[in-house]
Formats: sequence, C-alpha cells, structure tokens
Amino acid sequence: MKVLPPLSVFVLIGVLFLLASHLRGPSEAEGNAANLEPHKRSAASELSRLLARHVSLRHQLAQQAPAGHYIVVDTAHNRLYVNRHQAVLLTALASTGSGTILNDPDRPGTKWIFDTPRGEFSIQAKLTNPVWVKPDWAFLEEGLAVPTDPEQRFESDVLGDYALGFGKGYFIHGTLYARLLGKNVTHGCIRLQDDDLQKVYQLSKIGTPVMIF
Amino acid sequence: MRVIWAIVLGGLLWALPPSPSAPTSQRGDQAGDPDVLREANRILEEEIKLAARPQIYLLLDLPDRLIAIKGRGIDLHRLPITAWQTVEERAMAGVFRLRARPQVVRPKAAPPDDPTQDPIELKDMPAAYELLFDPTLAVTVAPPFQERPWLWVKSLMRHSWLGVASWIRSAAAIDEKATSPCLRLTLSVEAAQSLAWSVTDGMPLLIRRTMP
Repeated sequence: MKVLPPLSVFVLIGVLFLLASHLRGPSEAEGNAANLEPHKRSAASELSRLLARHVSLRHQLAQQAPAGHYIVVDTAHNRLYVNRHQAVLLTALASTGSGTILNDPDRPGTKWIFDTPRGEFSIQAKLTNPVWVKPDWAFLEEGLAVPTDPEQRFESDVLGDYALGFGKGYFIHGTLYARLLGKNVTHGCIRLQDDDLQKVYQLSKIGTPVMIF
Repeated sequence: MRVIWAIVLGGLLWALPPSPSAPTSQRGDQAGDPDVLREANRILEEEIKLAARPQIYLLLDLPDRLIAIKGRGIDLHRLPITAWQTVEERAMAGVFRLRARPQVVRPKAAPPDDPTQDPIELKDMPAAYELLFDPTLAVTVAPPFQERPWLWVKSLMRHSWLGVASWIRSAAAIDEKATSPCLRLTLSVEAAQSLAWSVTDGMPLLIRRTMP
C-alpha cells in the first residue's frame, strides 16, 4: 500500500476540520458575535429613548421661563438687567440694600435689617411721580420722633419720576444720590438713575417677574 | 523652622488625593453615553419641579465645574469651580436645602447715624466657609492654594475629617443608606464671596454628578 505524502495528509486533515466545523454550526466566538446584534439593538433603543426623554425634559424646563420681559437684580454687584428670553435688553447700575441693622431706641428688641429681599417677585404696582410715605425707621435714623400725624410722612420728589412696587413695601425707584449707584446703600429698595428707571418702567408691566439674588 | 514647614506642606501636597479630571465638558458626550444622559435627565426632572415655583436655586455642575444661580430654569449668574473633591458622590442625588451658612457681622447704627454709611459689601463676605444642607450634605468652600494657602489647607483638613467621620458613621451603622456626603469646592476668592452672598436659608441645591 502506497503511503500518502505528508503534505496531502495535512490538506486532508484541514478539509475534514473545515467540514466538521461547518456541520457543527457556529463556534462559540461566532455565536457571541451573533448574539451581540440584539444587544446592540437594545442599547441603541435605550439610548434613543433617553435622548427623546432628554429633549422632552429640556423643552419642559424651557417652558418654565418667563414668556415676556423679566427683571434680574444682582445685589452683590448692584446691577439690574431687563431680559427677554436669553437676550439682555438693559443693563443698569443700581443701589441695593446695605445689610445694616437699625435698632429702635424706644422699643428694645425692635430692629430693622436693611436687606434687599432675595427670591422671585413680580411687579405689583407702577406709579408715576411717586410720593414717599416715610416709615418709622426713616424718622428714627434722622434722630426724630415718629409723627402721629400721617400727613407728616409724605415726602415728594425723592423717589424720581417712577416707582415699581414688587411687594412688601419694596420698590424700584429713582434717587437723589446718583453718585452712590453701584453701592449697597439703600434700606432695601432698588435705586436706579432716571434714564434707566424710565426704560425699566416702559419695559415692565404688572406681573413682570423680578428675580433677585 | 521654614524647612519643617516646607516638609510638612510638601508631605501634605504629596499625600493629596489627585484632583478630579480636567474640566472637560461632558455635554458633548451626552449623545453617546447612557449614564451621562440618565444623570442629565435626573437633574432636569428635579429642576423642572424647582423652576415651577417662584424661587432662586443653585445647580452645582461637577462635570462642567460650574455653579449656576438659577430661577425659572434660567441661569441668572454663573460661578466657575476651580477644583472639587467629594466623599460619597453617589449619595448626592435629590434636592438639598440650605440649613446653615456663614454668619455675617452686620454693622449696627445708632440714630442719628446713617445706617447706610457702613454697608455690608461683597468683599466683607468670607472666602472660606461651610454650607450645611438637608438631607445631610456638607459643602466646604475655600480659595485656591495660590490665593490663600492657609485657608486652602484648613479646608482640606476639614474635608478629610468629614470624609473619615462619614466613613466611620457608615461603617458603624452597617446600613449603607447611612451616608454623609461631603463636597469640597475650591473657588476663586471672588466666586467664594459671591456664593456666600447669594445663598439664602432654605435655598434648594441640585448636584449634577460625574458618576450616576
């Protein structure tokens, strides 16, 4: 019997191996690769679901923003901005609360803290040629007695041409002390110079949000 | 003496945990990373609820190294974070509310002095302090080593102590939920003072984490 040459033996073994492999089906590695397709599809589906949710949430958040003009007050840097959407329509130098304390000498325990309130408010009143109704502290800090006659509390020509009330007795108004703009010197109100005050008055309406930080 | 101080400081710096990764924005990666998207969606879900109410809140964005003072979903002001470190970052989910903040000494006026002559200004605010929130979260704030070395070292020691205390508490409680997350922020002096100025009692805080 003739012995097959070594090369032929190798070729035969190779062909048999390939045939066996084909009949056995895909190898483990090939099986894993085949299973990867559903996994990839699932990951892609999860990703698209997350993306869709993300877009929807961003839209919902954007809807919380004021639809019209809104006022932003930075009390640390004494700036007032009037914005609409992401656009800044007006940047104004302002004066905000001094943060100091005044004790009532006649009533121990009674004190005033001259802070501009922080948070979100809204324009509640728009006044022209406003008259200041002086509160008790205004007399006390001048060393005067608090008057019993309400008429003595009225003082005109000190708040400028306009005043915009945003609640709890706080106003955005003008000032006689323009040189102090940019500083924390007020009793809690927000002071502006005349031109800026006029623009804020024109751009605002009742209900315009005022965000103070 | 200087040599001893140099050795102590050198040793401290050497022993420091590495600062978090470079301030690369993850927003660009959102489209491809489900975990980043999940975290972004979690933040948005919480923020929608906060923005629906008339209030100012804070969003602390760790991946983008940014603190945003926000209202109605709008960025009112942004403060950059120079560096940060966390303990139990995973537990920094949900809305935190400010419980304690640095006290500021307010000048008192006696009539007839003008109480506005000596006002509190931004520069009067502290540059190193601690903010405490509910549920339990401690945020220590300090300027960079280059600006105020001693304050920076103090905040590092405080943060390390809070981290060890948190670990001991959670180990003693056995309960994995008994966590006390801590965050150490390094902010420029001005940013630290601005943050101290802007926070108010009860102010809500959201934290966007790096590891959801």
